[in-house]
Amino acid sequence: MDAYFYIILVVGLVSTIVCAVAGILKKAPNDLTILSVAAVELSLLVYLAGSIVRVAGGEQIAGEPWEFWGYLLTALILPIGAVYWSILERTRWSNFVLAAVGVTALVMAARMNQIWY
Amino acid sequence: MEEAENVSAKSPQAAGTGPAPTNTRNTGPGRLLIAVYAIFAISATARAGYQILTKFSEAPLAYLLSAFAAVVYVVATVSLAKPGRTAFKISVIAVLVELVGVLVVGALSVFDAVNFPHETVWSLFGRGYGFIPLLLPILGLIWLYRRRPAASH
Repeated sequence: MDAYFYIILVVGLVSTIVCAVAGILKKAPNDLTILSVAAVELSLLVYLAGSIVRVAGGEQIAGEPWEFWGYLLTALILPIGAVYWSILERTRWSNFVLAAVGVTALVMAARMNQIWY
Repeated sequence: MEEAENVSAKSPQAAGTGPAPTNTRNTGPGRLLIAVYAIFAISATARAGYQILTKFSEAPLAYLLSAFAAVVYVVATVSLAKPGRTAFKISVIAVLVELVGVLVVGALSVFDAVNFPHETVWSLFGRGYGFIPLLLPILGLIWLYRRRPAASH
């Protein structure tokens, strides 16, 4: 597991907790919960940029490269989809949708790490 | 629950679907359910596609089951999100198939591990996915029951 994974682990967990607590407190999605999901997206973009740099620098992905990139691109789409889905209906339940992003991202980051090494 | 009903009353979908403004399935907790189904639809489709494209001959049955599970998740996601009675019926069937699938495949992978050594979403009752595949159809059926369309006559 590399630094990218640990960044996503921390950001993802914080985002999930923030969004789940907001949902439990019966709040609709607000700046805090949406920004926490944006932070997940940002950390995934950092992973993307870092991975491009590493591959460009000659590093080899141990597993299937296209599986790695597939995971990464799918993970990048999830936060956007979840925010879109949650602002269409602003109830507490949308915060639980947002909460799902962080854990999903960290599971996918773990899998990406496995493929890379 | 109150908020969910409030929102469904104002929802444009309720007004835009013709004579039966009864779709309360894609609001409130239903949105979370649909979101989780969507995640599983995407991951199961990607995984089955990957398995079939790269190593289908290793375990055709397991990978066809993967593909079947992916189709079930896609159908469940779409039908849960769509209004109307037909979509409701499709949802019930898809979620029931999913429940039977996770129970049968889960049991087979436990008791007949020799013939089911390859991973699918439903292997070991979805243990690789935090048992969410086992929980999801149960929650889905509860949700569909609570939001079933009113009897027509």
